[in-house]
Amino acid sequence: MNALRSFSARADIETILSQLGAERLDVPVLQPADPFLDTAGEELRRRIFLSESETGETLCLRPEFTIPVCLQHIGAGETGHRRYGYVGTVFRQRRAGGNEFLQAGIEDIGDADSARADARSLGDALAFLKALGVTGKTVTMLGDQAVFAAVVSGLGLPQSWTVRLSHAFGDRQTLEAALDALARPVPAPDVPADIREPAEARDRAALVNALSMRLRIAGLENSGGRDAGEIADRLLARFDAAEIAPDETALATLRAFLAITAPLAAAADALKAFATGNGLDMDAAIAGFAARENEMDKAGVDTSTVSYDAAFGRALDYYTALVYEITTPDGLVLAGGGRYDRLLTMIGAKSAVPGVGFSVWLDRVAAFSGGAV
Amino acid sequence: MSAPITIAIPSKGRLKEETLKRMEAAGYPVEPPKDARTYRTVVANHPNVEVAFLSASEIARELGNGSIDLGVTGEDLVREGLPDSENRVTRLAQLGFGHADVVVAVPEAWFDVATMADLGLVAADFRHRHGRRLRIATKYWRLTQTHFSQTHGIQLYRIIESLGATEGAPAAGQADVIVDITSTGSTLRANFLKVLDDGVILQSQACLFAPKRDGADAARKQAIDAFAAALTP
Repeated sequence: MNALRSFSARADIETILSQLGAERLDVPVLQPADPFLDTAGEELRRRIFLSESETGETLCLRPEFTIPVCLQHIGAGETGHRRYGYVGTVFRQRRAGGNEFLQAGIEDIGDADSARADARSLGDALAFLKALGVTGKTVTMLGDQAVFAAVVSGLGLPQSWTVRLSHAFGDRQTLEAALDALARPVPAPDVPADIREPAEARDRAALVNALSMRLRIAGLENSGGRDAGEIADRLLARFDAAEIAPDETALATLRAFLAITAPLAAAADALKAFATGNGLDMDAAIAGFAARENEMDKAGVDTSTVSYDAAFGRALDYYTALVYEITTPDGLVLAGGGRYDRLLTMIGAKSAVPGVGFSVWLDRVAAFSGGAV
Repeated sequence: MSAPITIAIPSKGRLKEETLKRMEAAGYPVEPPKDARTYRTVVANHPNVEVAFLSASEIARELGNGSIDLGVTGEDLVREGLPDSENRVTRLAQLGFGHADVVVAVPEAWFDVATMADLGLVAADFRHRHGRRLRIATKYWRLTQTHFSQTHGIQLYRIIESLGATEGAPAAGQADVIVDITSTGSTLRANFLKVLDDGVILQSQACLFAPKRDGADAARKQAIDAFAAALTP
């Protein structure tokens, strides 16, 4: 089905985008593949259409719009606040069904007031769907990685746990596996005497020396990869961890946090109760959460259809805080959005640039609203 | 008599010699090609069996296309060279030669990394520390992705294509770790690399494969089964 045909014209989408105050941006269908593979990981390779230029550059058909829009923003040397609207086809490999999907959305880049920008993003996404003729009930699920990060840091867990947990956040299965693994004590690794002795003595300088020697022999000393200091630190952390029993209370607290779900109006209170009940300092994260909700009310977002799920996130390390999905009552995702404050520096921006955006799946909207626009 | 059965066997090297030896012992002696330059021949006492000599990786591809009835080749080549191989070919027999493991190997000096989970942690904050993703040199793209992404949930790495001397990639600064084939491990050790505890992706050996297809007639099926049974060690 061609959704563009279902909507009376592509011009309608452009009208909606301009009514929402977004400037129109066109990005090429053919994109360099590296920024996508670098940010999302190699698994993406199986799901995108790759090609190669005559000069050997790996290219792909754009699998989404956020990265191309951000690249354009960086490439144009933009420093201010811009809101880009787009519409077009994205391409993804699937075993069955079609490979082309029509998307439209808005990327809001460079607004330092993140509470306001977040609220505007969700408000725009809902208004967009309404303008497309989605009159039936939709459900919005909202998650916040910053709140999860506050819980993990409040628990004072070892650095390696923090890394592991924050990477697993957003993928329930991986997160469960990480929590299970953390419940088991890990013995110190079996290493030769020249490494074990300084490690057991917690003599970091001697350990770095011994490791440097090993790296030098292997020709890895200046290879640009991991150095002796990094290996020493992780090794010492492993020796420490082997002597500390897993923190059962912390794991139970984390599990209790991940089970929190609440209507948005009650979510901040639920988080406050959780923080107080567990003696965690989450004030900053909760204040940010509440400020955003306040901005949503100001922007006229109907928050009665929004609910918060503490375990909801995206397992991509450039999403930093808000994520949301607008679904039909049957769970079909019509639009998805989120804040990606880490993305622009990952793909080349010289300094940190905040960003938040959403995409609407036009084909699904057309099917859901019966194609009548 | 039904249409002949075509079996593809490797066209050179140890795999070829071992396969010919095994077929002879199984009662399927392969006649030398009438002309040394041709790549097709027959089996002496089985007029309905045709033999095609193909390169080991072409055999994997032809099995996928279903253009041959049977093929002897390394399992690594089938799993790597043929997308969705589980649903496209059947492994009829492991032949007990051509052993080689496809493994994940890291520098020996990474004493903090013994398992895939350890490597996952290193990968997770690699960009933060080094401004780039962890690099894996390999020619086994598909096996690497399956092992890292699907089996161990590790996403944050990049694959660097390496078509030879892969074990030298870390010292050359091209990659941090490698996925490569090893039979004794001596090349890895010589390059100061070690295999992770759960780093064996595939224990490969020469195998007899057949394309999965429906509606083969009974006589052919019987002949194929008989051949597979004879070849099984």
